[in-house]
Amino acid sequence: MNSDNDTIAAPSTPYGESAIAVVRASGPLVPGLLKRIFGRTPPPRRATHAEYRDRNGERVDDVVFCYFRKPASYTGEDVVEISTHGNPLIVQKITEDLLERGCRPAGPGDFTRRAWLNGRMDLSQAEAVIDLIRARSDRALAAANHQLRGELGGRIEELTEELLGILAEIEAYIDFPEEDLPPEGRGGPAGSIRKLVTKVDKLAATSHYGAILREGVGTIILGAPNAGKSSLLNRMAGRERAIVSETPGTTRDFLEERMHIGGYCIRLMDTAGLHETEDDIEKLGMEKTLEQADEADLFLVVLDATVPYPALPDALAKRLNAGNTIVIYNKADLLQSEPRKQFLPDCAQVVLSALTGRGMDQLEKLLEGMLENEASGPEADRVAVSARHAQALGAARDALTAGLASLGKGHPPELAASELRGALDALGEIVGRVDNEAMLDKLFSAFCIGK
Amino acid sequence: MNDFTEKPYDVIVCGAGHAGTEAALVAARMGATTLLLSGNIDTIGQMSCNPAIGGQAKGHIVREIDALGGEMGVNADVTGIQYRKLNASKGPAVQAPRTQCDKKAYQFRLKHTIELQENLTLFQATVNSLIFKDGKVIGCKTNLDVDFYGQTVVVTTGTFLRGLMHIGKNRNEGGRMGDYSARTLSASFLEAGIELERLKTGTPPRLLGRSIDFSVMEEQKGDEEPCLFGFYDTREKTDLFHVEQSGERRLGWTPGEKQVSCYITYTNEKTEAIVRENLHLSPMYSGRIESAGPRYCPSIEDKFVRFPDKPNHRFFLEPEGRNTNEYYINGCSTSLPLDVQVRMIQSVPGLERAVILRPAYAVEYDFAPPTQLQASLESKKVENLFFAGQINGTSGYEEAAAQGLVAGVNAVLKVRGESPMVIGRHEGYIGVLIDDLVTKGTSEPYRMFTSRAEYRLLFNHGSAELRLAHHARDRNLLEFSRLSRIERKAAAVGEWTERLENERTAGGTFAERARRREAEIPFPAEFLALHAAVREEVLYRVVYRGYLERELKQIERMSQVESMRIPEDMKFLDIRGLRAESVQKLEAIRPRTLGQASRISGVNPADINILMIHIESSRRRRAKMGL
Ligand SMILES: Nc1nc2c(ncn2[C@@H]2O[C@H](COP(=O)(O)OP(=O)(O)O)[C@@H](O)[C@H]2O)c(=O)[nH]1
Ligand SMILES: [Mg+2]
Repeated sequence: MNSDNDTIAAPSTPYGESAIAVVRASGPLVPGLLKRIFGRTPPPRRATHAEYRDRNGERVDDVVFCYFRKPASYTGEDVVEISTHGNPLIVQKITEDLLERGCRPAGPGDFTRRAWLNGRMDLSQAEAVIDLIRARSDRALAAANHQLRGELGGRIEELTEELLGILAEIEAYIDFPEEDLPPEGRGGPAGSIRKLVTKVDKLAATSHYGAILREGVGTIILGAPNAGKSSLLNRMAGRERAIVSETPGTTRDFLEERMHIGGYCIRLMDTAGLHETEDDIEKLGMEKTLEQADEADLFLVVLDATVPYPALPDALAKRLNAGNTIVIYNKADLLQSEPRKQFLPDCAQVVLSALTGRGMDQLEKLLEGMLENEASGPEADRVAVSARHAQALGAARDALTAGLASLGKGHPPELAASELRGALDALGEIVGRVDNEAMLDKLFSAFCIGK
Repeated sequence: MNDFTEKPYDVIVCGAGHAGTEAALVAARMGATTLLLSGNIDTIGQMSCNPAIGGQAKGHIVREIDALGGEMGVNADVTGIQYRKLNASKGPAVQAPRTQCDKKAYQFRLKHTIELQENLTLFQATVNSLIFKDGKVIGCKTNLDVDFYGQTVVVTTGTFLRGLMHIGKNRNEGGRMGDYSARTLSASFLEAGIELERLKTGTPPRLLGRSIDFSVMEEQKGDEEPCLFGFYDTREKTDLFHVEQSGERRLGWTPGEKQVSCYITYTNEKTEAIVRENLHLSPMYSGRIESAGPRYCPSIEDKFVRFPDKPNHRFFLEPEGRNTNEYYINGCSTSLPLDVQVRMIQSVPGLERAVILRPAYAVEYDFAPPTQLQASLESKKVENLFFAGQINGTSGYEEAAAQGLVAGVNAVLKVRGESPMVIGRHEGYIGVLIDDLVTKGTSEPYRMFTSRAEYRLLFNHGSAELRLAHHARDRNLLEFSRLSRIERKAAAVGEWTERLENERTAGGTFAERARRREAEIPFPAEFLALHAAVREEVLYRVVYRGYLERELKQIERMSQVESMRIPEDMKFLDIRGLRAESVQKLEAIRPRTLGQASRISGVNPADINILMIHIESSRRRRAKMGL
């Protein structure tokens, strides 16, 4: 929960490679930030071209920024809007830099809530504001869950567990001085904290941008073997990349192609076919396909229109809906008449031929429409989430280091505990608030305490 | 004055344990006509478990009780037989006083204090049921077929609600060995729609001192200079020397005089073998007890089972008083059958010939899950009915006393039509305690730990009076003379904290030197002349300044949501945009502030944003209509 005395920052626009992205900050720190980042506070409401340099003086990008003096701004506070190229990496770098400079990550709907509370919106708009907060929050939550499902989530859980263990040990000696605890080791938990710092560092380094946030909207091609998935990828990419073969099940490694559709960047993924199989390698391919589908945002389901349609695995079918799926009836060149379009009837349908290219325009148009929705939604949230996560990891690291220093100076352990709790709160920003009960559980299972 | 008419008392307190006595005393001291009912007035303020007050977090609570005019601190100080400051090697925030008390002296003095208290009527009768009218409580029925009427009723019945004690297969009804079980009162609560659940706790055996060989044990002495609970720098001098308003002399002595020792011994493989062989006879292991016991107070059975790598377990032998030879065996909670208890005890060095005076037992009892309470400790279901102490699922004399004090104050305020006293989580452990109880509830007997407080560093025990002074002043809980002494103390602390920060010496400001922990700092004579309590507080604030400021800043950040009140009649179901899960939780807990709402698990920041807008827009709408 952030308080309205804080300065908040977050990306705030639709996102896409060619589109302009905007990062917004609101609150009392803004004028000072402008001076430090751009060397000046320009007159309000004038778009100014400048170089964005981060805290280490490194150039991030050419940007256009606009300052709005309070109360004449969207939120009624001092606001800056920084427009950059729509590249998600740049958006994330700028957001992270603002957070490092003392801003807090804006929660879902925070800008709008402030605007409303500061009287920038009419009383009658309260309901609309509430709807917006709800929608933003649900999407942000989905984006966060999406990320935590991956490897990162598991690693952070591990770190949290380890930290809880260390904290439990310190707290045991603070809260139970009369108990029959093993003698406190010299240096206490300093060794374990040091190890933890290294792990956090490593995670922060690898998760920085790339690993958390893949570029482009993940778009996956699914379908039975030989439906023409690889052919479609090649056709869309405009060159031979995937192996096209007449032997079903040939595509085993995932092929990925980054490309532009309209103004948006997508990451198109080819997959092995989905079908019942006994072949071990193919089985593996199947599992990987399902895994990959888990991380995708959009789905292109390719059917061979000349043969009966297969059934989809349940787990997969559940994720498909009108907002994220296009059904493709391929091999139209071999058809005498229109195919029966009854596969996932709620989703957009397109008949095409990957071989001749007929119908590809229609596919691109449908895809572009979907990307427009997608880009203004989950992806923008994901940038925000990634920036928050990176900031949280950094904060956890700083707190751990401070705790270590405090122990090193021989200060009483409750001070180190206070730092470690800060670290736990920071990780909690990622994995969800970690209650003190969790620490107590660890404590009572590790130490025999009781009268 | 015995008044058996239907003229209602302002406050009726049912139960005279640690919660009930504080509730009754504070209500009477605030000027309310108060009736204190106890099934047995020989057991007033009885320590059913160990003979000690205070310790980590609990000692902090007792000092807070003292800061609000409660009785526990002074009562423990003047009946103590061993005084220790815990964690002396750690920082002031986590140091705390702990005192072994003479159990009987503690009780007698408390009973006497109650007897002498104006506006307070003590009467021995068992409350069988409550009398309700129109959703409110208006009094209670007793076993003597006499009914009492009250504008408010405070229930502090501890573990007595359908209490059931286990020793092996043996079972006895009662809230404590030798006492009865309040069987019918539970029905009264159920009738009013108050839900009850069951908890379990236990107590170790008591031994005869002359059957113990102390010579083979390690002796633990008290501190020479006792660390006390009461704030005698602001209290009346007479408070410590027990000559009170009435001029009557109450039991008690100068703290620190003639201290007694505790002794330490350890279990061994023989003990473990005896326990393991007989596990199946333990009601908890045989499934005869199903209710949850506390994680922090495992029985000896649990200790051996859950920590098989620990070679031995420690027993602390604590004297129960000066005029008794009875010893409490801290560390030996069990519900094994008596014969097994004897063999197990006698396997321990020094206890080979030990004679058991009272066996250890486990007790199961009803409690009323405290999420059914408002932050004032008034029931959400029945108006004018307050709950305090173990019935709310807590453990410990100190936790009980703190709730009793708050419930007593709020019962009086309710009678007067004033807003309740709610202590914030940022103000002290009492605030943390009650907020945790009413917001999160508990699934084991709730005990305070310093780690439960998010602003622990601000809660050094010495600052309790300064932290809580505004509550004491607003509600008239202290005498005027003490309040003005507290104000002067606060002023001196503020002034000197600043002066040490600003005044320079050759080696830097006093504050800088203190933060470097220099051994010899030539403080101004004026500073050295201050009362030790003031100096300690000043130095604490100076040395730990960075940390304290950080916590203050966090409090400041939270203040917006903490102070935003949720209207009492809020219908969460009707609020657009809240998730179903949040609505359900919010309806169940009915938080009073946004801060409290934000601590309910499952309520997320977006829900808080939505609530905030909803509250604010209703307010503006009303303002617009000129309401
Ligand atoms: N006639 C026709 N053949 C196609 C079309 N698309 C793919 N094929 C053929 O179908 C076979 C399988 O194609 P491939 O792309 O490897 O399928 P995948 O297993 O789904 O990746 C190849 O022989 C392709 O040439 C199409 O639109 N029309
Ligand atoms: Mg293929």
